[in-house]
Amino acid sequence: MSDYYLFDGSGAPDPDVVRLEQMLGRWRSTTSAPLIATSSERRTANAERRTTYFGVRFLGPALAAAAAIAVMVGVTWYTTASPTSAEATVGKGSWQVAVIIGTPRIGADALVGEGRISVGQTLTTDAGSRARLDVSDIGQVTVDERTRVRLVETREGHHRLALDRGTLHATITAPPGQFVVSTPSATATDLGCIYSLHVNDDGSGLLSVEVGWVAFEERGRESFVPAGASSRTGRINGPGTPRFDDTNEAFRDALDEVDNGRDAGRKAASLGYVLAYARPRDAMTLWHLIPRVDPPDREAVVDALARRVPMPAAISRDAVLSLDRDALDQWWDTLGLDEATWWRKWKQPLPTGSGVSSKKSLATKSRKPTVGR
Amino acid sequence: MEHVLEIGRALPAGDLLTLPARTAALTATIRAVAAGDQDAFGRLYADHVRMVHAILLGRIPRRDVDDLVQDVFIAAYTRIRELREPAAFGGWIATIARNRATDYLRHTREQVELPDDLPGGEPIDSETFAVLDVIRALPEAYRDTLLMRLVEGMSGLEIAERSGLSPGSVRVNLHRGMKLLREKLGTDGWHGHE
Repeated sequence: MSDYYLFDGSGAPDPDVVRLEQMLGRWRSTTSAPLIATSSERRTANAERRTTYFGVRFLGPALAAAAAIAVMVGVTWYTTASPTSAEATVGKGSWQVAVIIGTPRIGADALVGEGRISVGQTLTTDAGSRARLDVSDIGQVTVDERTRVRLVETREGHHRLALDRGTLHATITAPPGQFVVSTPSATATDLGCIYSLHVNDDGSGLLSVEVGWVAFEERGRESFVPAGASSRTGRINGPGTPRFDDTNEAFRDALDEVDNGRDAGRKAASLGYVLAYARPRDAMTLWHLIPRVDPPDREAVVDALARRVPMPAAISRDAVLSLDRDALDQWWDTLGLDEATWWRKWKQPLPTGSGVSSKKSLATKSRKPTVGR
Repeated sequence: MEHVLEIGRALPAGDLLTLPARTAALTATIRAVAAGDQDAFGRLYADHVRMVHAILLGRIPRRDVDDLVQDVFIAAYTRIRELREPAAFGGWIATIARNRATDYLRHTREQVELPDDLPGGEPIDSETFAVLDVIRALPEAYRDTLLMRLVEGMSGLEIAERSGLSPGSVRVNLHRGMKLLREKLGTDGWHGHE
């Protein structure tokens, strides 16, 4: 018997090789590429690492002397100064991690008690371990079992995790846009809230918001998910249409079919179900559907939304059908949720050191991103 | 059963002719990755993940292979500017994978190691685990090449292209590795095909 089959699968199959292929082929690699920081993010992380290096290695003695002088000249200053700046210097480029149960790993190292995770490092939990991350000084993330997260970036006003698989629960108390979690199929941007995010091994996932809002985005397709609502995400279509968690199962299934179905007939039937059985509260879902459905179906969605929440007199039906941002935003503002302007503002950079603590107080001009499909 | 080694067998001309083009494409991809192009990184990953996965599967517990695959590619991404010769990327990332596996084993030596066939995962018969154990005990060159072929389904030419080995070396490794594997499986209770 020749080795043709062993070398390239040509020629007469070698029964031993065939059997080994069948046995071992079940372990073939199925993972997707890890999410990586962009070049600008890497430059930032590198700059932070250099700052830390110079700070500790060369400027340490000088800083220690300055600190001693500061202690001597004014206890009052110490008691009134913000602790944030000092903590930020100590923890630059890394976060505190604490074991909740079991033995999570940071990289290849087992974590016992507490430790730190630096930019570029991964935190992995197995079936018997969980951990808690301090997101700088703006919140906490609990990492459930069988989860892998990576710290992609952390600097003032911008903190990013990559959730490769598993589940995390985030509690963030910061102005919108400061905490971002990338997943293989969508990016979740915190708009000041508490939420859970799950990613399956195939990269699909589910975002569930408990308090506040989360923007879920991928390749220009956006979902703005309010408290009490969820949004599925998939590798192909990105963030799905958000829906309130108290909708019934049939409604959720129909919406999944509208988002991801391939059979035109079933999609049409599912859209019909969603439009017929949406409650007034589900206007949020219908609003998201307007840009997502094919143009021939758009009028039906607009009509269904108008039956739950009348279209404002100031906007025209044609403007909505042509996906005019201002028209869509004005209609959104009448849904009884929050005004569109504030959750669109999160993309605006915050003034450094502004001390802004409430998203309502942001004094930025509204930007008009394209409505995602 | 007779096994004939045909090192002199002509390789498909098309594959050899496209070698410069492949090298040029790889060079362009690596430069794009170094410039922060995430799509290029995805292509690089897709091209080399099977090789990295096979190398790690031959060394560390299966449950941790996927995590280390990700670590290897993140390490490659962060160090890509250190790579002077883009055409050597395959051998370079294979070295990163072997070193990461060594680090992993060093760090986990003192921990209780869970068996690969821990209940709860996909049901796989014990014979499959036994075969993997035998392959893991083979010399490195045979082990890596066989796992790329038998687990990842890579052809000999693909293995050569990704690893930087010559097609002839891959052919030798596959042949000798398979011969050793048959011998050891025969000794250790492998019944061969029914």
